[in-house]
Amino acid sequence: MSQIIQYIRREEWSPYVAGALLGVVGVLAVALSGSLLGASGAFENLAGLVGKALAPRLFDNLYFNFIMPPGITWGVVLLVGIFFGGMLGAWTSSTLKLRWNDDPLWQKVIGPEKWKRWTLAFGGAIVLEYGAGIAGGCTSGLAISGGMLLAPAAYLFIAGMFISGIVTALIVYRGRY
Amino acid sequence: MTNYVFALVLGAFFGLSLNKAGLTKYHKIVGVFRFTDLAVLKFMLTALVVSMAGLYALRGLGVIQFPNVPATYIVGNLVGGLIFGVGMALTGY
Repeated sequence: MSQIIQYIRREEWSPYVAGALLGVVGVLAVALSGSLLGASGAFENLAGLVGKALAPRLFDNLYFNFIMPPGITWGVVLLVGIFFGGMLGAWTSSTLKLRWNDDPLWQKVIGPEKWKRWTLAFGGAIVLEYGAGIAGGCTSGLAISGGMLLAPAAYLFIAGMFISGIVTALIVYRGRY
Repeated sequence: MTNYVFALVLGAFFGLSLNKAGLTKYHKIVGVFRFTDLAVLKFMLTALVVSMAGLYALRGLGVIQFPNVPATYIVGNLVGGLIFGVGMALTGY
């Protein structure tokens, strides 16, 4: 028992153990709620909610009316859970703290300046969410949730994600690859 | 209402697994694209295998029904994936 607690308190689990946990969560989501795990869709629900309040005419389109209707959906609640779950994970390994830009690899490659991290994170996240919107999901909502139902969409998405991810990493790192 | 409670609890375990696999860190996400750290791939594929086996077994037993399977539209899925990958490699999220 104490060994299990000790393992839980480790900062990093074996990816196989953590992956198996996510697999069980994925099954339970379908069994208990009939829903698929996903993150990017919830951001669109929230964006729609804000958009409809601030600029109703701009957001009065096919996408926000029918494909991704705004509202506090199951996915939005899931997202709140993910946030606190991540904090719980950091808390159990005593690594919970506010970070601005302290990843050693990022500091080495791009620099220690906070604004660079924040600007790139903001811009990159827009690109990421836009891609997820076109594809119909993100790593969790399409690649894992779709993949476990053997949806061809998921495997096309994974292929695309790795092709462009590897190319982007090649460009960013060049000689330091 | 209970559905939202399930969402909150399942989300918490989802976040926990991501955190413990180290996928909340920039160097882990980028590592998979640089072939220096394949934790992302190991994590994703383990999750896929476990959930796939569980779901198909439960459906075979008649316990559950599959929700709507994500739609396949080849160009959209592929182009979306290509754009997504750029953002993922840049931000490390």
